Amino acid sequence: MVDFFQSLTLIEMTAYALQALLIMIAFAIVIHKNNGTIVILIASFSLVTASLYVINNAPDVAIAEVAIGSAIIPLIYVISISRQREFIVLDKAMDDFIIHDNTFTGVGYILLKRFSDFYHLELNITNDPMYYKDTVSRDQVLTEQTNVDLIITKDPQKEDGYVLKGKASNILMSKLEEMVKDYDNIRLIKFKDRDLGE
Amino acid sequence: MSRKILLVAMFAVLFGVFATSMIELETLFNTYGKTYFLEHGYAETGASNLVTAILLDYRLFDSLFEAGILLIAVSGVIWISKHDVEEKNAKFMIDKYKTPDLFITFARLVYPLMLAFGFYVIINGHISPGGGFQGGAIVATAILILYYIDANKETNIGLIVTVEKILYLLIVLMASISIITQGAFFTNFFNPSADADLKAIYLVLLNVLIGFKVALGLWTIFTAFLKEGR
Amino acid sequence: MNPILTFIVILIGFYGLATSNNIIKSVFSVTIIESGVILLFLNLGNLEGGAIPILNDQVSYIVDPLPQALMITTIVIGSTVTALALMLCIKIFHHYGTVEWKEVLGRKDVKS
Repeated sequence: MVDFFQSLTLIEMTAYALQALLIMIAFAIVIHKNNGTIVILIASFSLVTASLYVINNAPDVAIAEVAIGSAIIPLIYVISISRQREFIVLDKAMDDFIIHDNTFTGVGYILLKRFSDFYHLELNITNDPMYYKDTVSRDQVLTEQTNVDLIITKDPQKEDGYVLKGKASNILMSKLEEMVKDYDNIRLIKFKDRDLGE
Repeated sequence: MSRKILLVAMFAVLFGVFATSMIELETLFNTYGKTYFLEHGYAETGASNLVTAILLDYRLFDSLFEAGILLIAVSGVIWISKHDVEEKNAKFMIDKYKTPDLFITFARLVYPLMLAFGFYVIINGHISPGGGFQGGAIVATAILILYYIDANKETNIGLIVTVEKILYLLIVLMASISIITQGAFFTNFFNPSADADLKAIYLVLLNVLIGFKVALGLWTIFTAFLKEGR
Repeated sequence: MNPILTFIVILIGFYGLATSNNIIKSVFSVTIIESGVILLFLNLGNLEGGAIPILNDQVSYIVDPLPQALMITTIVIGSTVTALALMLCIKIFHHYGTVEWKEVLGRKDVKS
């Protein structure tokens, strides 16, 4: 065993050390639970592989790995991880349901904040006038085709009432339905939409 | 738990098979390929970087279809993120993201340097490490810095994809010119006995086209990700 | 010796693919497998050693350039295929409200 290590050159010893480091980082990526930490690990993983490519006499491949693995791959991972943690709400009512006295203390905001904290989601509310121009019949198209998870409109049947519209396929909606039962003037409509596979 | 033990046992068997196959590799291994490339590579293609010689001359048919797969994957990303509802960047009420001023200053400093390095890697692909694929990735990373400087930058994705398709057609045409001059598809359009400097014209042209195509493809991909849901 | 150590990385990637609950975790595992395969090819080209495959007057013995030429395109294409998979992940989250394999596949309206 000692003879084996003494026969190695410096480059070969570095190669074996980097291979061991690569196995450790790969194992850490597989067993780690937090996706945000894994992005940092995957960036260091691609740096170690790039050094191994240089040791294996392949500088062309190493340039490609550094250029892509250090910037573009971590960026798209970070974006997709942050997008899978957010809950997008479109506010078409445009009154004090969300913003009350210029602060986020409206009835609807407290309800949605309680709901998103329960699932550790990040709440994102928009009231862009561009969406507001659409008619009521377009609501189902909006939830199907864009990433909007929930749409808030005024209730046409009841004075001072609100309607929340979401997708029936979304499993978060059943929890929201339970929470809405406590309020008299809010009701939830779930659109039965087509499946992704059809 | 028993499933995981079964999985690890299966992997141990696979590892054993692979390790025993590596012992016999010495008898299967031969060096005919690399001695051929060493002796004839420079004389036949005019590229001292043998990797570029294989990518752009000996195995150009492979490279063309791999560039095609890149185009198909980009089209898939665009198709999944596309919808009929007209959408601009929606303004969210609680948007905390703001780039620090120091970062913006350094990004403005680094951006032209990275762009110049990308073009250097593309143009010198036939005599030094690099080439169209690597240089295109560096140029795309340089363009990515522009988004840090101005987050609300408007980009027309449809125009970029159209330009990328035209570039792909140009690459195929450039590779097919040799049917007229040499009587064979997908090789250098100069005679193999021509001077090496003359043959470098073909290599540089094809490298520049592939570099721009890869840069536009990666640009499209991260633009689609940055706009997603915004 | 080096190819055997690289094969362990590939097996770790397969283990992650088989045991992960999260869809994004599966994409991470695919990235690991891809890097392992690239490294395996380069190890096999470098089995007898040699100089970098860029010719000048002194070079007389080089490593095999063919695996390197194949692997450059693999890296560029692998990044775009990862992007395609992650874009599908975002769509699945906004449709089903979750990215756990069990919850997505366990729904009644999914035919599998």
